[in-house]
Amino acid sequence: MSHILQSDVVRYACTCGSLKPLSRIYFCRHCLKIRCGYCVSHEVDSHYCANCLENLPSAEARLKKQRCASCFDCPSCLHTLSTKASTVVVPSSDEKTVTRKLYYLACGFCRWTSRDIGYPDQTVASGGWPEKENPHASRIYNLLEHFKTLALREKQEREKKKKFIPRRNIYHLSGLSAAMARKRAGLPSIGPSSLKDDVGGPAELIPSAATEEVEQLPEEIFTDTLNLLKVTTLKQRLAQPEFQPQTVDELYPAHKCLLIKRSQRCRSCEHNVSKPEYNPGSIKFKIQLSAHYHVPEIRIVTCEPLRAGEKSEMIIKICNPTQYQSSLQFSPLPSPEEEAEELSKEIEERKQKVDRKDEKTNREDVLLLLPSICRQVSITEDPRPVNVALTGDISLPPVTLVLPPRDDAAEYDDSGDTHNFQDDPKIVVWRKANKAAMKLVITPEEDISEGRDVIVGFVMHYTYINTMATQLLEQREPQKVNLKVKLYITVGKVVGK
Amino acid sequence: MELQDIFYNKVEYVETASGNKVSRQTVLCGSQNIVLSGKVIVQSDAIIRGDLANVRAGRHCIISKRAVIRPPFKKFSKGVAFFPLHMGDHVFVGENSVVNAAVVGSYVYIGKNCVIGRRCVLKDCCVIEDNTVLPPETVVPSFTRYASSPGVCIGELPECTQDLMLEFTRSYYQHFLPAK
Repeated sequence: MSHILQSDVVRYACTCGSLKPLSRIYFCRHCLKIRCGYCVSHEVDSHYCANCLENLPSAEARLKKQRCASCFDCPSCLHTLSTKASTVVVPSSDEKTVTRKLYYLACGFCRWTSRDIGYPDQTVASGGWPEKENPHASRIYNLLEHFKTLALREKQEREKKKKFIPRRNIYHLSGLSAAMARKRAGLPSIGPSSLKDDVGGPAELIPSAATEEVEQLPEEIFTDTLNLLKVTTLKQRLAQPEFQPQTVDELYPAHKCLLIKRSQRCRSCEHNVSKPEYNPGSIKFKIQLSAHYHVPEIRIVTCEPLRAGEKSEMIIKICNPTQYQSSLQFSPLPSPEEEAEELSKEIEERKQKVDRKDEKTNREDVLLLLPSICRQVSITEDPRPVNVALTGDISLPPVTLVLPPRDDAAEYDDSGDTHNFQDDPKIVVWRKANKAAMKLVITPEEDISEGRDVIVGFVMHYTYINTMATQLLEQREPQKVNLKVKLYITVGKVVGK
Repeated sequence: MELQDIFYNKVEYVETASGNKVSRQTVLCGSQNIVLSGKVIVQSDAIIRGDLANVRAGRHCIISKRAVIRPPFKKFSKGVAFFPLHMGDHVFVGENSVVNAAVVGSYVYIGKNCVIGRRCVLKDCCVIEDNTVLPPETVVPSFTRYASSPGVCIGELPECTQDLMLEFTRSYYQHFLPAK
């Protein structure tokens, strides 16, 4: 919990140069690299309503303008409205009175009701509420249509150019589909799609024109006393961008915006690093490669008061979250030259990968003709150096710390630790299951002023057992790899002498 | 940041066989209707209203000082009826918070000075920030953070929230020690 345990204190450097707490980064098991929220592509898996938790397919969500059909937001305080029932006595024709249930919308927070704006009560509990038409709906529709035709025309022109490049592939020989063969041969396709292809010129559209003359303010605005209770707040207006009501009697309930479930994909290898289950009520994941489960976690236990230029002891706790034993070593951060070299190596590596990918896609050029199948090509950012000014020095012990694997049953095991590690008691303070506490010495800079944060950094080298069966190498055995990650710790503020 | 040890007065707290630690300075009304599933901490001056309806708290819950857990009611044409309040596992309720929810899922963090309105539903893995007022019948979906008054979604939680919360409540229990 980033804010509960202040995990912003220990930040891990992503390959892209940004610093993130451990809970916010991913670990791609295929690239064996750390990926942060900026280095993964986010894909919307499903839309759901925050109130009724109904799952909507994305096509339907788009049709409904990403809003829930049955839930409303209060236009006054933006909380969700609830349906209230009231019984009304209706005089019947044969002198008997019949009680009927009528429903209205009410806000449980600010007491706004749909009766305030004169909405008639409904006889059914859900739906049937009058929808307010967007005053610019027809204009927006026209514009949309116009740009759709333009897009279609552009696409056709691009395809026309493509046709002259002769390409052969297995799909061509096997005759994947007759329609595609026709398309390749430059013949107009048959069937209903031919109507679509025949675009012609873009529809007539009157472009918007700017005008010099602006309507004058009405006379009353200077003479009438303003009742602030009747004027809407900025927040209320911006909640309804299509109407932007000025007075409270124009506030109409708005359909609740949908939330999304999304999956994350590594941009360089295109494997998923996180994929939730579709059900909005579920907290389980189909794929979950959060760094929290793969990268050793470091936390500050205690730290002596920091004084400029003076040594102080810090105890950190290291936790191995993996199912395998891991050995850790620490080294100082690389110098700027070393780092630059490392970065250029990384960029080179990435370039090769991209080239390889390009070759692959060239062969499968049939995919280009089916844009719905092919995913959007993800753009990878070049790695960048971390831009943090260190304000302290950390002395790292030259030891190798071996951490046993995580064992969920260890909590219930009172027999004590059976592992026999030869630790230096001056460095390793205590050990418990897959965790160990280590003593480090920190020296803040000489000229650091009081109240400033002391930031120290180091590189953590750790062994990781890669259990991914790499198909290329036909390796079934889990592989041991040495990985490293740069860590930046904001130890605390400098106190006076 | 690792949690610091929290020391309590050994005389003040009762520890049950299942590991619940309950302060004697609490108001537990209708205690036969209150179920604490184990390793639950109820701190001083907390109020749990079991006399209104059943209250069930899962394992590793923490109910902080001066918090109020009160089953929700619903108005009917003839009077009111109270509904049971279920709380999942690994739930943290901060100081001075009032919880009137119908369901509190697992791995939920409720901050200090919050008001969780009548018949709210808090799904698994959500966070209510300090000083939040959730109006009655609010639904808080999984992996969201709610704050301000009325409570609105202000952000989302990392995918590993479940394990973070699990670890947090476990280590809270481990660091909640009797004073020597």
